[in-house]
Parts: sequence; C-alpha cells; structure tokens
Amino acid sequence: MRNKNWKQILLFLAPVLVLFVAYFVYPLGFVFVTSFTDWNGIGAMEFSGLDNYLGLFGDETFRTSLGNNITWALVLGFVQIPLAAGMAMILARKPKGWKMFRTVYFLPNVISQVALAMMWLAIYNAEHGILNSFLELAGMSGLTRNWLGNMTTAFPAVIIQQIFYIGYFMIVILASRMGISESYYEAAEIDGANIFQQERHITIPMLKGILITTMTLALAYGMRHFESTYLMTNGGPAHATSVMGILLYRNLGALNYGEANAIGSILIIFGGATIALIRWLFSRNDNTSDSVQ
Amino acid sequence: MSSLTKELTLVDILAKIGKWFYILLFLFMTVVPIIWLTISSFKTNFEFETQPFSLPSVWQFQNYAKAIQMGGLPRLFLNSVIVAVSTTGLNILVSAMGAFAISREKFRFNEALLNVILAGVLIPIIALMVPYFKIVSTLGIYDSLPGLILTYAAINIPISVFLIHGFMGSIPIELEEAAVIDGCSFAQRFTKIVFPLTKPGLVTAGTFMFIYCWNEFTYAMLLTSSESSRTLQLGIRFFKSQFVTDYTSMLAAIVITMLPTIIVYIFLHDRIISGMTSGAVKG
Repeated sequence: MRNKNWKQILLFLAPVLVLFVAYFVYPLGFVFVTSFTDWNGIGAMEFSGLDNYLGLFGDETFRTSLGNNITWALVLGFVQIPLAAGMAMILARKPKGWKMFRTVYFLPNVISQVALAMMWLAIYNAEHGILNSFLELAGMSGLTRNWLGNMTTAFPAVIIQQIFYIGYFMIVILASRMGISESYYEAAEIDGANIFQQERHITIPMLKGILITTMTLALAYGMRHFESTYLMTNGGPAHATSVMGILLYRNLGALNYGEANAIGSILIIFGGATIALIRWLFSRNDNTSDSVQ
Repeated sequence: MSSLTKELTLVDILAKIGKWFYILLFLFMTVVPIIWLTISSFKTNFEFETQPFSLPSVWQFQNYAKAIQMGGLPRLFLNSVIVAVSTTGLNILVSAMGAFAISREKFRFNEALLNVILAGVLIPIIALMVPYFKIVSTLGIYDSLPGLILTYAAINIPISVFLIHGFMGSIPIELEEAAVIDGCSFAQRFTKIVFPLTKPGLVTAGTFMFIYCWNEFTYAMLLTSSESSRTLQLGIRFFKSQFVTDYTSMLAAIVITMLPTIIVYIFLHDRIISGMTSGAVKG
C-alpha cells in the first residue's frame, strides 16, 4: 500500500537522508574500502590487501595506542560507572542540597575539552602547577614532579582528570533510581536491612538494565577516546599516553590516507565488538537485561 | 524516616561519614579546579606564581581587557556564535522535518529508517576524519564556517532525531486528523500543529546542539586552517604562544570561552537534565 502523501514525505525526509548518507553511510563504506589501499589522497589508490593492517599491528606505537584505548575503556566502564552509580545512590536518598549537587556535578560536561585540558595543564604543570604547590604546602615536596612529562605518571594523570566527570552517567542512573518505588526500601528497612544491604539487594538488581547500558556506552567512549589526550599530551611522552585517534590524525596529516582509514576501521570494529561483547556477556545467563536497548 | 525512634548504629554513622566524604571529594575534583581557575584569572602573574591558593589582593579586571585585545577574542567569539547558531537552526529544522515524516506517517521502512538513523549514535565520529575532510574539500567549503556548520549539523542528526522523535510521539495524532478534515495540508500539519507543540523538545535538542557546537574542537581543527575561520575553542589552543609572559590573562581568556555554555546551563539546566533522562528511560 502506498501512502497518498508519499511525495511530501519524501520531501520532508530528503534533507535528513542526504546528510545522513553523506556523513554516515558513505564515509563508513569509504573508510573500509580505502583501508585496503595505499593512497595519499591525490594520486591513484593502489590495492594493497591487508598491508595497512599488518603494518599497524606490527608497529609497537600502534599496539601501545590500542592498549591505551582498551585501558581507557576498562577504566571508564568499570571504575567511572561504579563511581557514577555510587553518587546516584547517594543523591537518590535526597541528602541536603542533592539537586544542587546534581546540577553542579554535571557542570564540567557543558565545558569544552579544550578549556578543561588547559585547566589541567595548569594544575599538572611542573613549574607553577597547583598540584606541586599543594604537595609542597602539605610537606610532601618529595612527591612533586612533572606529572605529564613523566613516563609513569602521564597516563594515570590524563585518565584521573576524566574519571571524576561522572555528570552524564550519574544523571541517567539517578533518573532510573528515582523510578524505583520507595516501598521496597521501606519494607527492607522494617526487615532490618541497613543502607548498604538495601542498595546491594534492591537498587543494584533493579538498575541492572541501566547499569549495563551506561557501562556499554562508557566502554565505547573509552575505545574511541581522543580529544583530551590530544589536547593535554598529544600522546607523549614517548607514546606513553598515545591513543588510536592520535595516530589516525597524524597519518591523515602525513597523507597516509590508507593507513589512517585502517585505523578508523579498527576503531569502528573494536567499538562495535565492545558493545556486542558486553551485551552478550550480560545477557547470557539471564534474560532480564533483554529490555536494554 | 524512623530515625527519631531508632538508635544510630555504627553502620549508619559510617554511611553518613562516607556519604559526605564522597560528595565533597567529587566537588573537590570537578568544581574546585574551575573556581580556582576563575579566581586565578583575576591575579597578577606574580601572585599566581607565589600564592596559588590565595584570593587576589587586588582583583585584576584588566586581565580580561588584555585577553580580549591580545587573543583577538571578538572575532573568534563571533565565529563561534555564527557556527553554533546556524548549526543549531539547520540541524533542528532538518531533524524535525525528518522526525515528523517518520513519526506521523506510516510508510514502508519507517521503523527501519528510524533505527538506521539512530544507530548512527554508535559510530565513533573520529574514525571518519579522512572522509569528512574529503567531503568538505570536494564541496569547496574547506577552511570556512559553512564547512563546520554543515559537518556539525550532519554529525548530530542521530541524537536530534532521537530526541525530537521521542517528543513528537507524545503529541496525540487526533489533533492532526481533525486538522486534515478542516483542510490542513501535510506541510501545514507540520508548521501549524506539530512544530509549535514540539517546541519544548526542540529547545532541549537545540540546547544540546548549541553546547556541542560551542565546545567542538577536533573537527574545527581538521576542517579549518586560517585565522579567519577559527572558532574560539581552536583559538584558545594558540593562546599559549600568544600569552607566553602573561599567564593569568590567558586564564581570563579561557574563562571567557567557558562562560556562554555555563550561562546557558544555569538557565536551562532543568531542561537539559530532563532531556537526557527522557532518552534514558527508553534506553
């Protein structure tokens, strides 16, 4: 059956379709196809099979970057989400000022990564950074160092500044937590369950769906993490903080388009595989999480 | 609830201490640095170096005047406003039209089409740097504001369609059926009924768009090269070299770049938060 308004429907859909095809469908195909070529963007593409991929996995810098993205994913998924869930559980019990805290914790999420990165550069700075000033003030001047220039501290320093920006995940989890009926908690209270037992046996099972969803998102964000690392260290020192996006951007700048797109393909595939894996893991033994989109 | 009659147990005390420690730790890590940055932007450079934790003895408002002059802020600011406002308008119009057709009309593939568009959220946009660079160059809009506007508007179609489609779903279709009987055309159903009724949703989606555009950095860096098409976020990357000797004026410039989204957030935070959670309930 054909809708009698089909001409107008097509007219209304045309702009969104054109943009979606130009910026999602076509680029995806383009990235995959050209990842099997040797191409500098100007000359002819030469089919090179798996050369780009073999080259990447044979390159230690790439392996480090991939490993760092995986670390980012694991930290965001398994440290940041529990932290965000913990805050959601606290605020859901409406302590004094909880609405204000909710608003304030989200504030960094509306500030640009550039401004935040420059702020953290000022904090971690070796000469006049406040982290060092703070340590000196606290009588721990032995601990002061060039946080972002040091091979062992650079990567943790870049990760830690992001972990506390829980705003988005916290708000999403909090909204679900507020949807749980108070009567469960009242009943548990009467049965003598303390706060920790209540959270453990009521909140966590009931929020399973949203926790898996946010965890999946956080893992996917970690696999594609790029911006704040690029802004703070550009992958240094000596690739200690490097991530795949940084190598992609460098290859693009060096006109190695084939290799850049091979990295892009790996980013897309690993991101998709992460999402598929976590959903499979959590839905294997039970079907309560099937409601999760 | 029953705390009046109940004795405080050790667990309760632990929970209370733990709770406030947790709340304060996160305040310390998320907001205190921003406050420190803002206070520091009013200091002299000497004060900043020697007394990093004190309040400025004299508030140096001229840091802001210097930041505006030295960094060429007015031009950068104007570029960012142009990009953010145009992108928001373009993206919301296109997404609202698409969402309208998908949500109000039954045709073959309309569910499938919606799902394909929404799946765009899952794609890591940074993986598509090369094609975006190529598309924008081919269209002849490399290093121009239209290049950024088109790219930002397109990248955010999945999220906007998701939000707007959700809002449109809550408008009863009977309103339009009645209007059709009164001789309302397809386009008029959109312009006279659905678009006005979806306004709260459009404002929420538009707020997200504005904040995204204002803060976007990666593609601003990739798709522009000259100073005339630089946005604020890109511009402050160059402040480090412009303000070598005047660190606190650079901090003032950073504060200026943060202000617009913070102001938007202060006025619209309820709407932003409810916009995020409306998605979450479905997600």
